[in-house]
Parts: sequence; structure tokens; C-alpha cells
Amino acid sequence: MKVTRFDPGDSLIIVHATIWGPLGHKGLRLAFDTAATQTHVVPEFLDEIGYGPQHGDRITSITSAIGEEPGYMMTVSKFSALGFTETDFRIHVHDLPETLGIQGLLGLTFLRRFNYEIRSTEGRILVERVSSAQ
Amino acid sequence: MFEPTISEPMTWIQICERYPDEWVALVEIDWVNDRDFDFGTARVIGHGTRREQYEQARAWRSRYESMGHYFTGKVQAPLTPLIFL
Repeated sequence: MKVTRFDPGDSLIIVHATIWGPLGHKGLRLAFDTAATQTHVVPEFLDEIGYGPQHGDRITSITSAIGEEPGYMMTVSKFSALGFTETDFRIHVHDLPETLGIQGLLGLTFLRRFNYEIRSTEGRILVERVSSAQ
Repeated sequence: MFEPTISEPMTWIQICERYPDEWVALVEIDWVNDRDFDFGTARVIGHGTRREQYEQARAWRSRYESMGHYFTGKVQAPLTPLIFL
């Protein structure tokens, strides 16, 4: 069981993540979002670690807080959050408003690999890997 | 053109005080563990809008393989859901 802390005073549950790319690895903050089927990351961030639309394998279109947004699906070499690391992890790339203060959403493509308990008032997420996903 | 600058090691509280409500690019982050957004100190190599701090950070790309990009203000949750699928 791993424990990740978050600020219970924030309006969203924000967790730290790291993504590895051809030009290195970078840390970012994502909203923990059980309503998001995909794990989303803004394109600007991925540009900086050497990924771009040329790495996309499927064009997408979604309706977000800033309207209809084009995007794409791609696979990053390594993705880490909540103390667990996944290789060849698929993400959905599209823009989010800069004013949100986050660079994406940690969605079910990552979360469904684990059992987790969100202790909102304590600002803690307890996470353990589901044995069948190991 | 801007002159690449790097700050002295600073705590997150000090960074937030010096660059309020800005995006910052950090290097030499002294992480406490592999889960939380907690570190001892880090150096600031870029700050401003999300795009500006990325642009400033590029000057340091050859020296630092590891960076972090964060917002120093409060997260603003939208009134509507972030994404409709």
C-alpha cells in the first residue's frame, strides 16, 4: 500500500506525475479524475520532452471546458504517478485552460490498475496494485 | 532574446512568494519521495505564463534531463466538468 498526499483545501484533487520522453523526463501535476476514461496531458508539456503530433496514432475530438478540442492518442515510454510506474503508457493529448493550473487529468486508464481509497478530509490517497494487473 | 537565468535553491513556499500565480520551471528538485509534491529545494529556470516558462526552460535542456513545470497559484476548478466524452 502506498500513500500519496494531496491538499484537501484545493478545489480538485491534485497529484504529482512524471513522464519520460526522448528529451528527458519532467514532472507535472494532474487532477485525479475518476470521471475521465483516459489520462490526459496538454500538448505543450509533451513537446518539451520530445513528443509531438507525429507520435500520435489516432486523431480525436472532445468537448472540454474551452470548447471543441482536437487531440490525439499516443504512447509515452514511461509514466509514473501515485508511486507506481507504467511503461508504454497510452495517453490522450489535448489542451486544457492554462488558468486551471494543471497539465492534465489522471484518468481510469491508469487508475483501474489499482485499488485506491481517497480520504478527502485527511488529504491522502491509499493505493495498492491489483494483482491481476501486475 | 532573454538571458537564461537560474535562481538559488528555494523552497516551494519561497518560489510561490517570489512568483505568485505564475507557471515555473524547476530543476535540481530535491524530492522527498516518489509520490508527493514535496521537495526540500529547487532552482527556478523559467517563470511566467505556461508558454513563457517552457521557452525559458529550453535554454537549459542540454544541462538538465529532469525538470518540473508547476503553477504557483491555487488550482481553479471549472464550474463545468473538465471534459465531456
